[in-house]
Amino acid sequence: MKVHVKAFATFREVMDSQLDMDFPTGATIRILLDELTRQHNGLQELMFAAPETLRDFVNILKNGRNIHFLAGLDTPLDDGDVIALFPPVAGG
Amino acid sequence: MVVLNKEQKERYRRQIAVVGEHGQEKIGKTRLLIAGAGGLGSTAALFAAMAGFGTIRIIDPDRIEETNLNRQLLYREADIGRPKADTAAKALHAMNSSVDVEPVTAAIGTAPAWDLIRGIDVVIDGLDNYPARFLLADAAWKCGIPFIHGAVEGFYGQVCTIVPKTSPCLRCIVPNPPPVRQTPVIGVTTGVIGCVQVTEAIKLATGNGVLIMDNLWLWDGIRQKSDQLTIERIPTCHICGKNEYQIPPRERVR
Repeated sequence: MKVHVKAFATFREVMDSQLDMDFPTGATIRILLDELTRQHNGLQELMFAAPETLRDFVNILKNGRNIHFLAGLDTPLDDGDVIALFPPVAGG
Repeated sequence: MVVLNKEQKERYRRQIAVVGEHGQEKIGKTRLLIAGAGGLGSTAALFAAMAGFGTIRIIDPDRIEETNLNRQLLYREADIGRPKADTAAKALHAMNSSVDVEPVTAAIGTAPAWDLIRGIDVVIDGLDNYPARFLLADAAWKCGIPFIHGAVEGFYGQVCTIVPKTSPCLRCIVPNPPPVRQTPVIGVTTGVIGCVQVTEAIKLATGNGVLIMDNLWLWDGIRQKSDQLTIERIPTCHICGKNEYQIPPRERVR
C-alpha cells in the first residue's frame, strides 16, 4: 500500500518535505518511523527521546487525526493515508 | 453603532475601497485582546491599530530588553528597561489616536483569564509558551470568543483561528506542545505570522473571507513553502469534546 508522508518545520532539516512510501499490509506508524529514521540521518534523535518513546512535542497525524488519540505507534496504516509529522513551534 | 466621521473616511479611504464603509465600521466596533507584546504581539498590535480596530487591550508582564529589538517593532533603543505594555500603548496611540488602547502589565496565569478577556470580541495569541496559551484559549473557548493562535520558531510559523463550538480547540490542534524555552526567531517571521493573525481578525470582524479554521497554516520561510494541515476535533477532548470547563492542575504558568 502507498502512504504519503509530509514533514514540517525542523523535521525538514533532516528529511524531504514530502515523500511517498510503500508498505506491506498490516504496517503501522512504528514501522513507518523505523523506515524513515533508517533512511534519514538525525531523524531518530530529533523524534525519539529513547527507543520506542517519541519526544513529547512530536505530533503525528494520520489523515488529520493525531495518533496520540488513535493507537499511538501501533496505529495501523491504510492505503492512501497522508501521514503528517509536525513539531509545533512555540515562540511569540 | 460606530459611524465613520469625515476624517476616518479619509484616513481609511484606501482600505474602505477593500472592505467597504460598513466593513470599516465593523472593524471600528471590534475589541481585540493581544496577549503578549513581543514579536507577534507588537506586529499584530501595530497592524491592528493601522487598520482601525476600536479597542486594543495589550497584555505583557515584561520590560523591554536589547535582545527584543531584532523583532519587536513597537520599541526603540531608548525604550530599553521600560514596561512593554505601556510602551506599546504609547506607540499605538501615536500611530492611531482614535484607537482605544488598554495596556495591562500582567502575566497570563497571575491575572485571571476571565478578567483579561472580559468585553473582548477577538483574542490574538502573541504568547511564547503553551501553558499560558491553553489557559487563555480555554477561557476564550468557554466564553465563545474566537482565538487566533500564532507561534514562531526560526523561519517557521503557524496560524489557526479557533472559533468556539465550530472548530477544534487549541488542545486538539497542539496536543503535544514543545517545552517552554527561549526560542530562536528572526523578525521577518514574527512579521509574517503577526500580519496573518491580523488578517484573520479583519475577516472575523467584517464577516468576509475564508478563515484558517479546521486546519493549521504552516509557513516555512527558508524554503518558501506554505501548507494547510487539516486537523480534526478530538472526540474525547475535555475542552471542545464536551461542554465542561476544567483546567488540569499540572498546567501552571511559569
